[in-house]
Amino acid sequence: MNGKKSEIKMSRREFLGLSALGLGISLAGARPATAVRAASPDEVAILYDPVKCVGCKACQMACKRWNRLPNESTDPLRIYESPWGLSAITWNIIKLRRTEVGWHFFNYQCMHCADAACVEVCPTGALSHDPLGFVSLDRDKCNGCGYCTQFCPYGVPHLQVANLLTGEAKSAKCTLCQDRLWAGIGGPSCAEVCPVGALTWGKRGELLEKARARVTELQSRGMNARIYGENEAGGLHRLSILLDEPEQYGLPSVPKTPAFARAWQRVIQPLGNVAFGAALVGILGAFLFVRRKIRMEEVR
Amino acid sequence: MTVQLKGRAEAITIQWIPKYTFMERLGHWLHTATFVPLAVTGMILYFPFLQPLAQGEAGLLIRLVHRIAAVIFGLLPILYFIIQPRRLLLNIREFLPNKDDLGWLKGAPAYYLLGRHEAMPPQGRFNAGEKMNGLVMIIAWFVFGLTGLPMWFGKGVIPPELYRWLVVFHDLAMIVSVCMFLVHLYLAVAHPLMWAGLVSMRFGVTSADYAAEHHAKWYYGPKRAMEIWEAKKREAAQH
Ligand code: HEM
Repeated sequence: MNGKKSEIKMSRREFLGLSALGLGISLAGARPATAVRAASPDEVAILYDPVKCVGCKACQMACKRWNRLPNESTDPLRIYESPWGLSAITWNIIKLRRTEVGWHFFNYQCMHCADAACVEVCPTGALSHDPLGFVSLDRDKCNGCGYCTQFCPYGVPHLQVANLLTGEAKSAKCTLCQDRLWAGIGGPSCAEVCPVGALTWGKRGELLEKARARVTELQSRGMNARIYGENEAGGLHRLSILLDEPEQYGLPSVPKTPAFARAWQRVIQPLGNVAFGAALVGILGAFLFVRRKIRMEEVR
Repeated sequence: MTVQLKGRAEAITIQWIPKYTFMERLGHWLHTATFVPLAVTGMILYFPFLQPLAQGEAGLLIRLVHRIAAVIFGLLPILYFIIQPRRLLLNIREFLPNKDDLGWLKGAPAYYLLGRHEAMPPQGRFNAGEKMNGLVMIIAWFVFGLTGLPMWFGKGVIPPELYRWLVVFHDLAMIVSVCMFLVHLYLAVAHPLMWAGLVSMRFGVTSADYAAEHHAKWYYGPKRAMEIWEAKKREAAQH
């Protein structure tokens, strides 16, 4: 104790053991990388053609009715665009958009990506890729963490808080009327109800062909038409015909998970693991070491 | 107050002197009693491999406990401020860093790992490590509150991007404060040199010898403490 030089001694076994423990703690939270998925032609999809759409909102109504979604209060100043956007109780909506060709209608719903960020981040498996192609949501499994709302490049899922005290919440979004598809009753109610064929449903491969033909036709009429959703995010199961750049519709040309969302998983989680690992190993090491170096009998 | 412990060969006399007020100790332990459940329930939500525990009914219970503990955790400093505003400000002032604290940082490894007393410059009522702990906890209290309250009442309402950032800062505060807490816990309950720390936080008193050794600037006053330390260093150098 009295100023005599001491050196740090630790057996190799202890050192290796502590290092392994630290590494183990650091890796405990790591998540394996998932392969990129791609859509296949036989899967179910919806095609939306804004040139045919008359903005009657029948799709919006049918969606509410089939999925038993309550109505939202209406803003009298925005008589047409009401409700204002997708929400936990509005899964399908028609909005007005101004593009190259002027004002026209555009329908928004879940894009049902083949490689969906929401599925990737969902910790409970509530969101999953259905064999039929769409992104299914099992509300019973959902624990309301809200990651899907943060990671979706289209801002589609919304959280519905059921209880402020327990934080109980459920994610909500269009499921392509999964119950109808599973039961074989028919297709998504929005597409079934559309009186003008703006929303149609069927096999994705066939819809793509139809879309290509339609795009050629619209181009020959002088419109800057294109397909949106063929390859975006692994291929969408909600295909759209656009008459302008995707950005004019508020759609990303390259759908990306917002960087801030990744920051948490890629940086904060590993950082936390390393910090906890280092703290625990350091303390355990110090404990073992100090126990031998400093004797209680000599301490005042 | 003097307590005598009579062993077989000799009598050890410990002279106890007051160190912490009742309110300081009550505040410290209530803070601990809410911080630990907050950290435990928070980490269950944070670690992906603990996710199974955050599911279903269990998940709701965990979030409920987190919120109840958070209310008390958040109110404690406010109550302390209402009851003893001057004390709180004094405490916060005690935690503010100054350049003497660098000496602690330099001496800490030799002191805490090898028990070399002469490596450690004299410390005040809180040593620089305890000051750091205190300061981190004060800052963390603000960060937890400023991010946690909107996370609580803004879930599903505030934009997801903003929510995500709130969680990131809530998590960072957790990582830093829990690491700090672990080191603090080890030093308080297991480190041989720090034996009187736990006693004083429980009963409010500390051994005079211990105070002279570990909190010399508080015990002797800064000037006298430095003189004693210089002498100790000279003595150690001669050996
Ligand atoms: C004023 C005090 C605090 C408030 C108001 C607060 C509030 C909250 C809320 C509302 C959540 C979200 C829970 C949910 O998913 O429903 C949360 C999560 C969390 N809290 Fe706190 N909290 C506080 C203090 C603390 C403390 C002291 C710690 C740890 C030492 C902590 C660690 C965490 C962690 C790790 C999470 C999980 C975040 C994630 O999802 O990654 N909190 N807190």
